Amino acid sequence: MNAESTAARVENATKIYGSGSTMVTALDDLTLSFERGKFTAIMGPSGSGKSTLLHCIAGLDALSSGSAYIGRVRLGDLNDKSLTLLRRESVGFIFQAFNLIPTLDAAENITLPVDIAGGEADKAWFDEVVATMGLGDRLTHRPAELSGGQQQRVAAARALVSRPEIVFADEPSGNLDSKAGAELLGFMRHAVDEFGQTIVMVTHDPNAAAYADRVVFLGDGRYVNELADPTATQIFEHLKSIGG
Amino acid sequence: MIRLALRGVLAHKVRLTMTAVAIVLGVAFVSGTYVFTDSIKASFDTLFSDVNAGVDLYVRGVSEFGNQLPRIPESLVDEMLATPGVEIVAPSVDGIAQLVDKNGEAIGGNGPPTLGFSWVPEGEGLTPLEIRDGDWPRHSDEVTIDSFAADANDLHVGDSIDVILPVGVERFNVSGIATFGEADNLLGATLAVFSQETAQRVFQAEGQVSSIALVLSAGVDSTIVQTRIAGSLPDGAEVVTGQAQTDDNLEAVDEGVGFINTILLVIAGVAVFVGAFLIQNTFRIIVAQRTKELALLRAVGATAGQVTRVVVFEAIVIGIVASLIGVGVGILIAMGLKAAFAAFGFGIPASALIVKVRTIVVGLVVGLGVTIAASLVPARKAAKVPPVAALRDVETPPRSLGRRVAAGASVTGLGVVMVVVGLVADIGNALALVGSGALVTFVGVSMLAPLVAREFARFAGIPIARWRGVSGRLAQGNAMRRPRRTASTASALMIGVALVSVIAVFSASARAGVAGALERTFANDFQVAVSGFSDPTASGLSPALTDELRALPELETVVRDRFGVFRFSGSEAESFLLGFDGPIARVMEVKMEAGSVDQLGPGTALIEKPDAERLGVEVGDTVGIDLPNGASVDLRVVGIFDEPVLGVPLVVDLKTYEDYLPLRLDRFIYIDIAPGVDPADAREAITGVAARYANAKVTDTEEYAAGLEEQIGMVLNLVVVLLGFAVIIALLGIVNTLALSISERKHEIGLLRAVGMDRRQVRRMIRWEAVLIAVFGGVLGLVVGVGLGAAVVLAVGQGLTLTFPVGQLVIYLVMAGVGGVLAAIVPARRGARLEILGAISYE
Repeated sequence: MNAESTAARVENATKIYGSGSTMVTALDDLTLSFERGKFTAIMGPSGSGKSTLLHCIAGLDALSSGSAYIGRVRLGDLNDKSLTLLRRESVGFIFQAFNLIPTLDAAENITLPVDIAGGEADKAWFDEVVATMGLGDRLTHRPAELSGGQQQRVAAARALVSRPEIVFADEPSGNLDSKAGAELLGFMRHAVDEFGQTIVMVTHDPNAAAYADRVVFLGDGRYVNELADPTATQIFEHLKSIGG
Repeated sequence: MIRLALRGVLAHKVRLTMTAVAIVLGVAFVSGTYVFTDSIKASFDTLFSDVNAGVDLYVRGVSEFGNQLPRIPESLVDEMLATPGVEIVAPSVDGIAQLVDKNGEAIGGNGPPTLGFSWVPEGEGLTPLEIRDGDWPRHSDEVTIDSFAADANDLHVGDSIDVILPVGVERFNVSGIATFGEADNLLGATLAVFSQETAQRVFQAEGQVSSIALVLSAGVDSTIVQTRIAGSLPDGAEVVTGQAQTDDNLEAVDEGVGFINTILLVIAGVAVFVGAFLIQNTFRIIVAQRTKELALLRAVGATAGQVTRVVVFEAIVIGIVASLIGVGVGILIAMGLKAAFAAFGFGIPASALIVKVRTIVVGLVVGLGVTIAASLVPARKAAKVPPVAALRDVETPPRSLGRRVAAGASVTGLGVVMVVVGLVADIGNALALVGSGALVTFVGVSMLAPLVAREFARFAGIPIARWRGVSGRLAQGNAMRRPRRTASTASALMIGVALVSVIAVFSASARAGVAGALERTFANDFQVAVSGFSDPTASGLSPALTDELRALPELETVVRDRFGVFRFSGSEAESFLLGFDGPIARVMEVKMEAGSVDQLGPGTALIEKPDAERLGVEVGDTVGIDLPNGASVDLRVVGIFDEPVLGVPLVVDLKTYEDYLPLRLDRFIYIDIAPGVDPADAREAITGVAARYANAKVTDTEEYAAGLEEQIGMVLNLVVVLLGFAVIIALLGIVNTLALSISERKHEIGLLRAVGMDRRQVRRMIRWEAVLIAVFGGVLGLVVGVGLGAAVVLAVGQGLTLTFPVGQLVIYLVMAGVGGVLAAIVPARRGARLEILGAISYE
């Protein structure tokens, strides 16, 4: 895999929290790449370091040692200002909760990153994303007037609208019922297939992971192994076999 | 439950500190005021008691009211010497004497009186005065002055000094410099001490003295001597014990510090009132943030009452701690006030600071009471949190605003009615009713404010959203999302802005009124008045000045007046009168309802229309008045005037005045120049004479009006500065609300940061929210303040011309916005520094 086809990667990434007796090694010399245009899921038991990996590679947190890259940019070299700009331009986020600004309506939430950057949203692209996420008739609603599934789809649309290099999703369907979750994941899959979007998703739900092209398993902050184009059953069996 | 409350206090230390600051400041002002005034009283108590301890009896003139004792015949001194049992007889002659500094400027006369005393060798140790340098005035050309005046004006023993006296301006040699006990002067009053013969001459008291101090021989029963003396005294004189004299002296000091006390307590009250809004808001937000915790309590079996008690108990803990700190800070404030007074020349005898139990109790009651009262509504709200809220995120649906409209409107209405009744109705203590009416109005408006907060924020936020892009748009949204919070934060600021707006409107109206009335009334060319700002019953121009002016050929008419205190018979209220000397009609166009100014002469009076109506007197009737020396006089009314420019309800002629009132100084001189004389030449002539009288200020009508306007403006500006204190507390409230809102919205801010908002944009968002809240408070304050101000102006009516100082009000509004920016500095920095990860991680 060369640099052109890699959207993001970590090299010898180590992340240590605390010190002395309370020291926790969340990432332990991990090296991993995420291919452009693919939907990658990261799985592993609680404490395996999957959320830490997501935070560090997205520039929300700094590694203790090693390097994290978005495209060709090494995050460790950036100050807060440049990191903010990088997030603004190259990264999209979908979180489990607290995903939308309650005072803005759906359309404003979707264009938020573009507005923050002081730019204009690409109208055609906006319409396409909104249509893909099935939000056409919900744009003037406030988050409080939307269902949980709709809210997450707005969040997904926001992540896509600035055409980021890569979208990180942290348990995006974690707070949704199975139907709404399936819908959201379907839309995300669609974005990968239709727009060639790169998505990295952390989840512990085999059904969610089954939407991915590739499922990477972590344990104790280290790479364990991975599955390509797995089904939910395969993932479930695999998790059992590695003791997750 | 108590443990839970204590934990709650500890867990919210930072946010509760802000609340505590409001209480601390309020309580500190209340207790500082008490400590300060108690200490002043105590120090004078000691001083006078020490002095009067040596004096057994005082013989003095009888005064029913007012602050000047009539004099008694000097022959009484010999009578006292002849009285068996009397060992020392020390007479004193008092008057008014103003010192002039080396540059020819009058010393003092801006508030505190300029006192003159006499000294006799027998009086050694019987007055509070102590010689610091030099000696007492033993010769007719000598004066002893107070040490503050000496030090502040570089005057020393041996210097010569001009003194303005009823007989004119005279030059004396400084023989000594005296202190008042350990203080440099008596609460800012200047002192000039002369020998007895000199005092009698310069105070025009030939054959008279003001009082006589008596020391009795050892072993003599003072009651017997007192009774004996009382039997032989003429009318208008009385004999009292040293203790009674001490009490009277102290009463005068009490009156002197009373106004300080009142002003400080009113300001303390405003501070506490504003603080109450801040406290209530803080508790409301804390309760909202702890919804889950409180719901959990309910879920595990706590009753609604228990939840309420947890919150109230927290309030009690904060109230006690903050009140105690407040009392401590109050003592510091008292020390600061004392130092400030000394620095500005208001001498106070040294004494320890007096912290009475009453001071601490009042401080605690005020602090605790306000805190508990302010926490009650949020505490009741806390009890309404349903247990299920612990399990999921429940957006508590906003309660119907219908009841709020009704309640807010009735409270506002009640407040307005109280204000109007207080202003219009003729009742005692109307001022208190107006004041509490204003407070009730504030509460009512703050209840209604949430109704308009959202629309206001939307409307006022539009330009910000346009100009500041997404940060502005979010600021607008944040200010709109919790209208109650925005409104109650803004309400605290509203009070401060409203109060200063009332004063701005009143001040502008008073200035316009003065200018208008003078323009209408003053038909004269020049005036001479006392420079500075002093009690007209105890200061004035030397009558010698009028005599000199009357001798000038350039001037045709020179009219003067004197100021005095009286009571309408049957009334306990003191009023003021003017005694005129000269043809008033030549210098003034007084608007007459009936009768004529020209008829004024001995035994007659002009009366102002409202009092004439109240008393039911018409021209030709008589009006009875009581005077300070106990006399009651019937005056024939020759005119009823309808012009408040005179500022007094009764005008008599100088003859009547001199018959009953002791002051021998002129308040004001009205001058008409002779036909054909160039005003500039006339002015030069007047100034040539007046220059020697350092306290005399020559003006033409325009300058005089400007000077009056300036004085009104200065007094009211001082009040505005003091009220600034309330504005600062209100700004603390904005700081607090923002800080709490930010910790409440940290997930949101984290999300914004995660999707690319930089720190500057976060700061900008918070700053503009603060500006919106502050401007909302400012607008509410302007509306309420201008309304109340207009009501006061219309109710007072006379002498005021309703004027809205638009420029000044706009400045207040801008300042409120700037205050918002300042209040946002710390919260904005904190918001911008939020760790993104911490902010978006889930609990």
